[in-house]
Amino acid sequence: MATISKDEAIIRSSGEAARAFTDWYYTQLTDGKPIASAYVNSNAKYLAASHPPADICINGQVIATPEEWDALLEQQRLVPFTQQKGKVKYEVEGFDVHVINKDYRFAAPAEIVAATDPKLMQRTEDARLMMVVTVAGSVTFGAGGKEKGTPPKQHFSDVFVLVPNWDYVTRPKFKGHKRYLVASHTYRAY
Amino acid sequence: MAPPTGPRAGTARAPPRGPRATGGGGGGIQKRRANPRTDRDGDVSMDAPAGGSGRGGSASGGRGRGSKDARGGRGAVNSRTSSRVVQNLQNYVSGGPVGKTQSNMATLKILGMSNSKATGNRDGGLRSLLTFLERKASKDKAVTIGKSILDGDYVWITVRKDDAPEILRLNGFTYAGAPLTITETTERMPRPEDKISKAAEETKQKLTAVLAARYNPELKLLDLSSLGTDPILSSMGTFDSKDRAEKAFKVLVVIASQQYKTAAEKREGIQAISLASNGLNDVMQVFTLASSLPDIKRLDLSSNNLDSLSKIAKWQHRFQYLEELHLTGNPITTQPDFVAELIKWFPSLQNINGQIVRSPQEVAEALKGMHPTPLPQFPSNLRDGEANVASIFVQVFFPMFDTDRARLAAEFYDDDSWFSIQAIANSGRNLPWKTYLKYSRNVHKLGEKNPATVQRLFTGGNLIADMWKALPSTRHPSMENPGAWLIDCHTFPNLADPTGHGFATGLLITVNGQFEESDTTENLYGKRTFTRTFILGPSKPSNPPPVHPYRVISDQLTLHDWTPAETPAVQAPVANQVPQVPVTNAVPPAGPVILDDATKNQLIQEVMKRTGMTAEYSELCLSGTANWNFELALKSFEEQRANLPPTAFINAV
Repeated sequence: MATISKDEAIIRSSGEAARAFTDWYYTQLTDGKPIASAYVNSNAKYLAASHPPADICINGQVIATPEEWDALLEQQRLVPFTQQKGKVKYEVEGFDVHVINKDYRFAAPAEIVAATDPKLMQRTEDARLMMVVTVAGSVTFGAGGKEKGTPPKQHFSDVFVLVPNWDYVTRPKFKGHKRYLVASHTYRAY
Repeated sequence: MAPPTGPRAGTARAPPRGPRATGGGGGGIQKRRANPRTDRDGDVSMDAPAGGSGRGGSASGGRGRGSKDARGGRGAVNSRTSSRVVQNLQNYVSGGPVGKTQSNMATLKILGMSNSKATGNRDGGLRSLLTFLERKASKDKAVTIGKSILDGDYVWITVRKDDAPEILRLNGFTYAGAPLTITETTERMPRPEDKISKAAEETKQKLTAVLAARYNPELKLLDLSSLGTDPILSSMGTFDSKDRAEKAFKVLVVIASQQYKTAAEKREGIQAISLASNGLNDVMQVFTLASSLPDIKRLDLSSNNLDSLSKIAKWQHRFQYLEELHLTGNPITTQPDFVAELIKWFPSLQNINGQIVRSPQEVAEALKGMHPTPLPQFPSNLRDGEANVASIFVQVFFPMFDTDRARLAAEFYDDDSWFSIQAIANSGRNLPWKTYLKYSRNVHKLGEKNPATVQRLFTGGNLIADMWKALPSTRHPSMENPGAWLIDCHTFPNLADPTGHGFATGLLITVNGQFEESDTTENLYGKRTFTRTFILGPSKPSNPPPVHPYRVISDQLTLHDWTPAETPAVQAPVANQVPQVPVTNAVPPAGPVILDDATKNQLIQEVMKRTGMTAEYSELCLSGTANWNFELALKSFEEQRANLPPTAFINAV
């Protein structure tokens, strides 16, 4: 098939978005860098549209803000014995992504909400997606090699609901923008 | 022609590289040394009955397993130990690259100088011999000798091939009262380091004997106490008496740790070290113990001069497995806080000077502190709104997935529902993945541009039901067993409303658990761990009306190998965590599900559909011992079915 259908374009676009997101997110986690900026909470357009804060549920515990999740990750990195920062390594072994709303327009620029510009609507056809991403992988506590013995290891499962970052949709060439933002995050590691 | 052998040739007859039967020397060419005695006697026999000092004499070879390790790069020694002896031993065990023979040079061996008067010279007469040879050979042209070395009775020299006849012409000449025998040879010229290696080999043999005498195989104890007064060490020139203990210690520890192929073998072989009575005033003097034998369990430092914690501080946070420490006879034991402090430094430490200072439980807790700490695990978190849609959904879904997938798909999935499976087939510890791999939509592994990401996405209830038929049958655990499930759920805004106007609220349900699988076609049975993510949204308006007010928009099943550790999935929250945000709707899975009337009605409807009973009987069935548990209600129905009157069923009325 030479050309791909609209649905296939959307499926591919969701795969690319999930890849970009997971690549960035877990590199940040493993490098001990903050991830709060990935959530809708700090986005001006979502704030202006009164989007509720991202729902973050970590091991069954609701976390109020992405910054608190960052703090929890910092706590997780701490080696109690030395009271120093150790390495917690996240390795993605798989992810799957489904589009759950193909025409997401919440907090979008007015011309998208009203769909007044057919060209713009066509151009953003595979970008107005609400998606659910399920990530599976392993998390190793103490991969830095400083600590002796076998570092504890867990399986983690992360589920994200991602929504478009309209800043990216309107200015895709601007480097600092993430394509999608986290509206919901459910984490379990066991 | 074989060169004549001098009376003392036995001590240094041939260069180490030569094809001799005895072991030793750098073995760059010969990978395996065919001397069986090496293995039997050369090792310190750490795992054999005590050898006694007498064994030292037969420790010829001295090349144990450790030498192989050294080749593999493990022989790297902490730079602090790089005393000359250790360096020599390193050279000895690692061998060296064979020097390239220079094609335009000839190697000559000269015998006889050791019988000459020149042997009394400081360099053994070598220099004056070389001058003699050059002078006598330079008859027609100037002959210059290249490299030269005195090795035992032989002097080895290299000269340009053109000049070799000029030197060979001098065969039979008398030098300083002794006749010289000069022959050309193809043997490799000994190198200066070979001579050092020989010295090192002898040293190693003696040290190996020392180790053998000091090893107690029953206690797995290497007794390095009182090294300063060891008779064998005293007899060796290598260690002058001043810091003999310290020097000998470093070498002994290196040799001892080289006796083992793997860290695990070493950990098993040497569990205890005694450094008693060595006059230590700071562990810095024996610091390398921490890098060479980091896994020891018992350490005796008694009768030394350690007078404060700072003198042990260099070992802080090392010796993760150290359980027993003896410091009796050190001034430090008079300090009041030394025990409390040492416990902090060594996580496994339970016994100091014979006193129990910590319980095994406390040790287990302390050992956890060696690594970053996993976050605490909380029970299921169900925030699914007033109607408890998620609670009911999972109670209905999983038993039906086990028993009637076609009906499940027809009831909860519509034409726009998506389903896919991803298999995280990373270790294959449990069941094979064959059945699932052809369906696996692991976008991470497939790549987002792979057409399989489209093909392996199943859309619409019919397609999904067909695909489910191909999957092995499953049995999920009972919802009555809360430890078997971790279910998190919350509502979220901004799904597309199925009427086409505005937004709808969605429900995200994430289920982590295990199920039993029986693959009858492959004859495989076992357990799988899964994560299943559902997005539920309002049903589309239809005629006849949809079976349920909500439908599955997305269903992602992730299968993986991970078997959680024996710790139950639900753990008590750990203290001193980040303050917990109160979750008003959280329903601990262990507790009873509190249901409103609407939910009860929904459950009654479900039981009616499944059993064909009337609403009245369905309610009776649910409110009885089942206590509004859908699964239990069905079970009790199956049990009581035969006893039910015909009026219990809708059709009979």
